[in-house]
Amino acid sequence: MFPEAAQCLKTAAPFFPKTASLKDLRRLCSHGGAGHVQASRHFGVSRPLTAKVLPPHKPRERVEIPGLEMVTYGERMHFVPGLSKPVNPRWERDYKDPRYYKAPPAHEMALFKEKPCFVYNQRTSALGGLRQALWLTKTKLIPGLPPQLLSLTESPANQIPDQDERVQNAIKHARFWDTTEERPGKEKYSNTLLFNLLHLCATLQSRHPAIGRRILSEKYSLAATWKRGEDLFQIRGQNGFLHNCMDPLPEVSGKEEVGYTAEHVLETLYPVSPTIDLQQVHVYKEQLNCTGFRGDYPYPHAHTLYFLDGADARYKLQPEQFRAKMLMFAFGNALVRAHTIYGTQPQPVLDRPITVQAIGTNGRIFQFLVLQLNTTDLSGDDGIKNQVWLDENVELYDFAKVRPLIKKKQVKVPAGLTGYKPEVFSKFLALYLHGAV
Amino acid sequence: MMALSCLTRALRSLTFSQPALLSSQAIAQTRLGTRGPRTVEQRRGLLTTACLEQNRTLWKQREKYTTNPIGMKKTGGRDHSGRIRTHGIGGGHKQKYRWIDFQRLRYEPNKEAQPFEEKVVEVRYDPCRSADIAMVAGGSRKRWIIATENMQVGDVIKTSGVIGNMAVSANEGDAYPLGALPVGTLVNNLEIQPGKGSEYIRAAGTSGILLRKVNGTVILQLPSKQQVQVLETCMVTVGRVSNIDHNKRIIGKAGRNRWLGIRPSSGLWQRKGGWAGRKIKPLPPMKVYVNLPSISAK
Repeated sequence: MFPEAAQCLKTAAPFFPKTASLKDLRRLCSHGGAGHVQASRHFGVSRPLTAKVLPPHKPRERVEIPGLEMVTYGERMHFVPGLSKPVNPRWERDYKDPRYYKAPPAHEMALFKEKPCFVYNQRTSALGGLRQALWLTKTKLIPGLPPQLLSLTESPANQIPDQDERVQNAIKHARFWDTTEERPGKEKYSNTLLFNLLHLCATLQSRHPAIGRRILSEKYSLAATWKRGEDLFQIRGQNGFLHNCMDPLPEVSGKEEVGYTAEHVLETLYPVSPTIDLQQVHVYKEQLNCTGFRGDYPYPHAHTLYFLDGADARYKLQPEQFRAKMLMFAFGNALVRAHTIYGTQPQPVLDRPITVQAIGTNGRIFQFLVLQLNTTDLSGDDGIKNQVWLDENVELYDFAKVRPLIKKKQVKVPAGLTGYKPEVFSKFLALYLHGAV
Repeated sequence: MMALSCLTRALRSLTFSQPALLSSQAIAQTRLGTRGPRTVEQRRGLLTTACLEQNRTLWKQREKYTTNPIGMKKTGGRDHSGRIRTHGIGGGHKQKYRWIDFQRLRYEPNKEAQPFEEKVVEVRYDPCRSADIAMVAGGSRKRWIIATENMQVGDVIKTSGVIGNMAVSANEGDAYPLGALPVGTLVNNLEIQPGKGSEYIRAAGTSGILLRKVNGTVILQLPSKQQVQVLETCMVTVGRVSNIDHNKRIIGKAGRNRWLGIRPSSGLWQRKGGWAGRKIKPLPPMKVYVNLPSISAK
């Protein structure tokens, strides 16, 4: 049937529009035959179907001359060559629909300010690393943890019974046993290891009841604002886990040492400016200070922050940048606390310096940080500085291999946990017990 | 019988699709008026897509500068029609494009017209060119530039747009206008027109030589021994481009060429014409890129 019909149609071809080819006709035939109505889009019918595609030319620029009215073909309701295309007013929905909300441009927002604010968020990878963070927070770096902290775990009363064995079991659980697959992934084992170690430390609560006056919280949003030089800086973000405490941490260094920091000169990052890699925003709230909790929260004081390196696979940080992030967020927590106690006016010396601790890990390597906030007057480079004690890149164990490493038929690294270092956990425990002993 | 009814139905439906002669009003009427429950809806032929071009070049339409590597689309030597325009290109390892800032004298938004310094943060291999590239950071911005021969991490390089009376003793990697450099310096990344960005002397190991300075212009020798006259305000960096042993490398096997994206040439024996063979000719005349005032205007 069809070939005959097609033949008849072909002989009648001159009567039909030029380009309706055989394929189109067959399509129309079949549609008519089925009685099935379906509108068929057919593209340009006034040109040959196969042609070289020219690159699209840019449409002619529409020039607006004030005072001259464009003559458009809008009134005539059809295209007239020579007249311009009518421009219709922009249609706005008369009711508010949250699915189709278009934010106004930055300069029309209510909180827009000419002066930019530099924001450090949890994804920032600062080029200057720890040096940039030290300059931004006006802090003096002291390598190594303070000795009075380390001496906390020397007495047997502050040690867990069977400490080494239990810690090694915790590591093995995190690295080997916590999965149905061959080995757990990095995000998983670093998370499990941290919680196992915290659980171990918490078993000392029977001896030191002050440990019970703490709570662990995560995904809290921190915001702190301060002025440094002529620029405004803010820290904002959800950074990690936080140990909150009902009582503040005791200060680590006395008034004398704090006074000596006034002579310390901050390292400059020239020719790189300290605002590099920070997000510049023009729409912000001035004096934005938020601990992440409401005013009547029973655990107001930040005790320790815990950072996991492999948490977000999209924003991997180098070790230097990771330490900078730890310092910045610890500083943010301390600054917000200082603002709530002493007010937002910059204070050159705080009567009771605020101490905050931070521990960062990637599952094997730990960074310990203790920050003491001595001053909130951060605009100038001179005067009393804050102090930070940093113990970087301490390995809890050397290898935790599922399969042994064999080179040339000799076992170089056996399977299982190797190279466990007990002093690292005692540092962890010391930071945990600080303030409770 | 069935064929005839089919044919008549088809012919009937086709009579509706006479496009150009009817005005749009008539068409609207016919559409509204004759719309029965079972008639086929006919429309004028309309181009219903705005742009039929493929998204081949959309990866390079980014406006804001970024240091992150951008994914590239390979063309295989084909142009917009799909035919090969350049033979011998295709395949090869996947590459990401690092956006190089060729305009060395680019001031930061707030600090106009002051010489500035930048620190080299990283020097690395670039798959898109023969030279190495360096990430430099100055003020609060980072950018990629073409690295010069002895550029190391931690170096501080200077960029200045000022032409003084005395020639500057330039260190390698610094960028100055041509008028500020002494005669005889090796330069690279040459701008022909001031402010346009460097377009010449960017390949690995190349360098041009400043030959002489003539009132407002400067004459340079390019690596092809061609001489060129440009304005003295054009920016240029001092030294040779990095990766100087690039021309001494040995490809070794056909596969390595394929990794580089070079397809084999046609194997057809073709009689070599006048273009082949060693030529010894005088140097072409000096190319002048300066609009000198014409002598005839009096």
